Amino acid sequence: MAKVGVYVCHCGSNIAGVIDVEAVRASAETLPDVAVARKDLFMCSDSGQEMIKQDIRDGLVDKVVVAACTPRTHEPIFRGALQAGGLNKYLFEMANIRDQDSWVHAQDPEGATQKAKMLVASAVGKAARLHPLEDKYVDVTKAALVIGGGVAGIFSALELAKMGFKTYLVEKEPSIGGVMAMLDKTFPTNDCSACILTPVMVEAGNHPNIELLTYSEVEDVEGYIGNFNVKVRRKQAYVDWTKCTGCGACAEKCPSKTPDEFNMGLSNRKAAYIHFPQAVPKKAVVDMAHCKSCGGRELGTEPKISEKTGKPILAPCEKACPADAIDRSLKWDPAGVIKEIKVGTIVVATGFQVMDKGWFKEMAPDNKNVITALQMERLISATGPTGGKLLRPSDNQKPHTLTFVSCVGSRDEKHHTYCSRVCCMYMIKQARLIKEKYPDLNIYMHFIDVRSPGKDYDEYYTGARRMGINILRGKVGGLEVLPGDNLRVLAYDLDAGAPVEYESDLVVLATAMELPPTAKKLAQTLGLQFCGSNFFKELHPKLGPVETATEGIFLAGCCQGPKDIPDTVSQAKGAAAAAAVPLCQGRVKIEPIISEVQTEKCSGCGICVPLCPYDAISLKPYAEKPRAIIDITQCKGCGVCTAACPSAAIVLHGYEEDQIFAQIAALTA
Amino acid sequence: MPAIVLDSEKIKDSVKRIMEYGGTGVLKCVQCGACSAVCPGVKAGFPVLCRLLIKKLLEGQFEELVEETSTWGCQACNRCTEVCPQGVRPQEVVFAYRRYQASELAFSSSATTSQMNLFATGHAVFTEAGPLREKVGLPAKAPTSAYDDKAQKEIQTLLTESPMGELGLF
Amino acid sequence: MEKYGLYLGCNIPFKAPDIEQSFRKVFPALGVEVTDLPGAGCCPAWGTAPSFDLTTWCSVSGRNITIAEELCVPIMTGCNSCFGVLSEAKHFIEADPSRKKIVNEKLALINREFKGTSDIYHISHVLHEKVGLEKIKESLTYTLEGLKIAVQPGCHILWPSDVYHVKEKNSFFPTQLKELVEALGASAPHYSRLEACCGMGGMRSTDVEKSLELFKTKLLSIKEEVDPDCIATTCSSCFLQFDMSQKTLKERGEIDFEIPVFYYTQLLALTMGFDPAQVAAISVTPRDALIAEIQSETRKIKEKEHT
Repeated sequence: MAKVGVYVCHCGSNIAGVIDVEAVRASAETLPDVAVARKDLFMCSDSGQEMIKQDIRDGLVDKVVVAACTPRTHEPIFRGALQAGGLNKYLFEMANIRDQDSWVHAQDPEGATQKAKMLVASAVGKAARLHPLEDKYVDVTKAALVIGGGVAGIFSALELAKMGFKTYLVEKEPSIGGVMAMLDKTFPTNDCSACILTPVMVEAGNHPNIELLTYSEVEDVEGYIGNFNVKVRRKQAYVDWTKCTGCGACAEKCPSKTPDEFNMGLSNRKAAYIHFPQAVPKKAVVDMAHCKSCGGRELGTEPKISEKTGKPILAPCEKACPADAIDRSLKWDPAGVIKEIKVGTIVVATGFQVMDKGWFKEMAPDNKNVITALQMERLISATGPTGGKLLRPSDNQKPHTLTFVSCVGSRDEKHHTYCSRVCCMYMIKQARLIKEKYPDLNIYMHFIDVRSPGKDYDEYYTGARRMGINILRGKVGGLEVLPGDNLRVLAYDLDAGAPVEYESDLVVLATAMELPPTAKKLAQTLGLQFCGSNFFKELHPKLGPVETATEGIFLAGCCQGPKDIPDTVSQAKGAAAAAAVPLCQGRVKIEPIISEVQTEKCSGCGICVPLCPYDAISLKPYAEKPRAIIDITQCKGCGVCTAACPSAAIVLHGYEEDQIFAQIAALTA
Repeated sequence: MPAIVLDSEKIKDSVKRIMEYGGTGVLKCVQCGACSAVCPGVKAGFPVLCRLLIKKLLEGQFEELVEETSTWGCQACNRCTEVCPQGVRPQEVVFAYRRYQASELAFSSSATTSQMNLFATGHAVFTEAGPLREKVGLPAKAPTSAYDDKAQKEIQTLLTESPMGELGLF
Repeated sequence: MEKYGLYLGCNIPFKAPDIEQSFRKVFPALGVEVTDLPGAGCCPAWGTAPSFDLTTWCSVSGRNITIAEELCVPIMTGCNSCFGVLSEAKHFIEADPSRKKIVNEKLALINREFKGTSDIYHISHVLHEKVGLEKIKESLTYTLEGLKIAVQPGCHILWPSDVYHVKEKNSFFPTQLKELVEALGASAPHYSRLEACCGMGGMRSTDVEKSLELFKTKLLSIKEEVDPDCIATTCSSCFLQFDMSQKTLKERGEIDFEIPVFYYTQLLALTMGFDPAQVAAISVTPRDALIAEIQSETRKIKEKEHT
């Protein structure tokens, strides 16, 4: 005979405002197997929990039902109370009479009370038949993986490394640095971006606990928190990085040109190239897609011997390299090399891209003098296509009038409904830097609103006005193209209540921040979800900003949502701290609410194996016959195999057949 | 400009009525001004179109605007609809307001002529064009409702069995 | 031969029947059969039913569409406004089943039913998409090579793009009319105010002065940036504005030039060798000299070699 204790919670007025709590308590007393039935204002309070513990100590109850809110938030609290009272914590069942009752049937108190009585009866039926269960533990691999080598990934990796954990930093480009390496200066301090980033890049590159895996991508992830097996594909560079010194001679001699992604297409790079001057690691890569295979010599073939000199005729890159790092006669594998690593936790910090101007038909996107803000950033950068001189792309002339357009693709139901958060500030930054350098330049900035939260941000904005930068509120509706590739800006001045038209030499569009198309594949590989704005989804928007729904995988930086550098670094450090927790604990708990095969009953039919969504079941020989066995580290307790087994050989602990039948009986009584 | 008195009942009523006439997007407007930046009517100098019209409606000025002629300058070109980032479809708000103005007979005399032409011939614009048509080698009578009694009766039925019929124009 | 119902509207049959004649001449010659929509009335114009009541608008437009549905033909219209009114009405009816029900109840009073089986095109869509630029080039007798033409697509053919069957790749930088003009051999250079409104329509009837001011801005952009031999449009309203208002501005001393104006199919008809007395006979702004130039011996295209 079970001795079930039923505890009904008022939950303040959340439950009691609709449901007659005393009636529910009284009804519970009449149920079979119920030893005591009590009620409290807040069961989760200390006094509420003490009530349960005392009843256990007094020997009055050996199973517990709490009728209250949701197990999602409160199950751990009550399990803890049982354990503190001396009872196995899995001898607990919760009836949700708040979210599933009082909250949704607020218009029908009578019906809600009746439903509460039934929900409690169902919980009692199950609780009476619960068995004690034990947690299991698995060891953790004390290493971490950070995917993405931008400012977020770099800071996450450094925090983890400093804590003493071996950290792999995987980056798809040849060098770490990300978008921040492309910026000229950063607001509101006007620090030179590369100057504040490169020391951290170098620190990450040199740290004994960090292994940099650049020009690499995560190909496959298997496993679970504490025990991830990751395949990382190191793409083929066609350059021996153990010899390459990063001198750049190969790039100088390479005859092949292609638009330079680092300069956002405003200039060209060679097929053999170094990502950017402050690259870490500073190594060359040959982009085979644009390699001309000089002299018609196929990769992997021996060079012809010159009749004149008797020496081999080498490709310009081979010849130029003083370190013998480029040998085109080797049989390089175009698929690169797969490296397998084992880690305990993963931080995803893969960053963002900005929308291409081609999406915005009314903004004359084909015109050369209409550029995105990131392209402008490259134009004013000392390492950019014009050496930092503000020259417009169509004719390399200095502009006289400069226009900034905000909210291009952001706050727009045709593209992205969210605000990209950083554009107001970086537009003001670019305007201030340019106005300082070229005081005679006329600058017009068009905003819907000006958003400048953050420390020193509003002062930065008002400072821009004091410099004589013209700021108008009103979204630009379109651009018309004038002869000479000038643009007529069709704008509106909300404050004056009048349309505005003027001629501009160079128009900068603050296009929206978004995730690149490669994010989809990464999400599939890691099991990440997307939120409504198509960024990676965090566990909880308020209280779980760095975690994901998958234990052991964390998020940092703009891949989780648009944010500026201070917030990115904060989140990166937060993600590192959260990612370090399982590594510090050294072991990971496996909840016992999972399925188990009773081997003697298993017929070895194998029906369960393909049904498992987590690939947790396999057939292993047992007494010369194949029998199903479930990997406890993979099983999530979904119950599909349990229901499908024709021999009823599988038990889902915590949801056994007799328990469920008792629930059904109680609900249909 | 004297202060506008914000009356929440008046505002609710204004929003309800404009939405009923067809301006269903009014509450989506964030007053960004993109519509006005490309509107030919605003450019031509009509004072109360798209954004400002929506603003005044959202402040409850539904009846106060009835004599405003700007709305009749709207070309229905829909540039506003094309550039609006919130899906307001401002042109539909302008036309919804016109429908209210029409119900109050607040339109110009030339507009009256168009409605009467429409009723009489099935065409808003009609001139006797027989000689002109024959000059270019076409039959004098165009194959439209202008010369088709049955067609005219059909159009008249549709017009009389409608709010237009109740205005006493025909 | 593909068959289309020619929806005439008001201005074309009564004010500019030479434009109507140009349709009736060029389309059959290009392999498109033109059939009348007997009893079709006003679309109805923006200043009429659409400004009074949404259901009435949909019923009157719906009636016009049912005429084409009964003949099992799609509609093509020469007037941008008609194109916009009919297309939007069709969209309103089809997007809301309860509205469709009410509209059909009204149409039932006159024994009609809107089914939605006739699509709505503009004649320039039929020329660009169905006939095609190559076929047009092959059908020419005269070439417009060396002539500079400023194009005026107008407003309603471009927006709201989400409701239209045939769309430009970029409605703010439209290319269909430009390509149609280039198919005749002429050049159609860009000018900054190409997609701007000409000021005709509701604006003109409400305030002529504002309309003329807007028109003048457009005209000056054309003159200063292109200085064309003529203007080509695919909107009958734009045609009337460009044709009438230049004279007004000239008389006021606000401009000192006049540019001949054609509806595109008039130019096409002329280059195909049709009689100007039928296809390009009515205009306020003089264009006889240009017409004579277009159909001159020097512009005759040499006979193609038969293979």
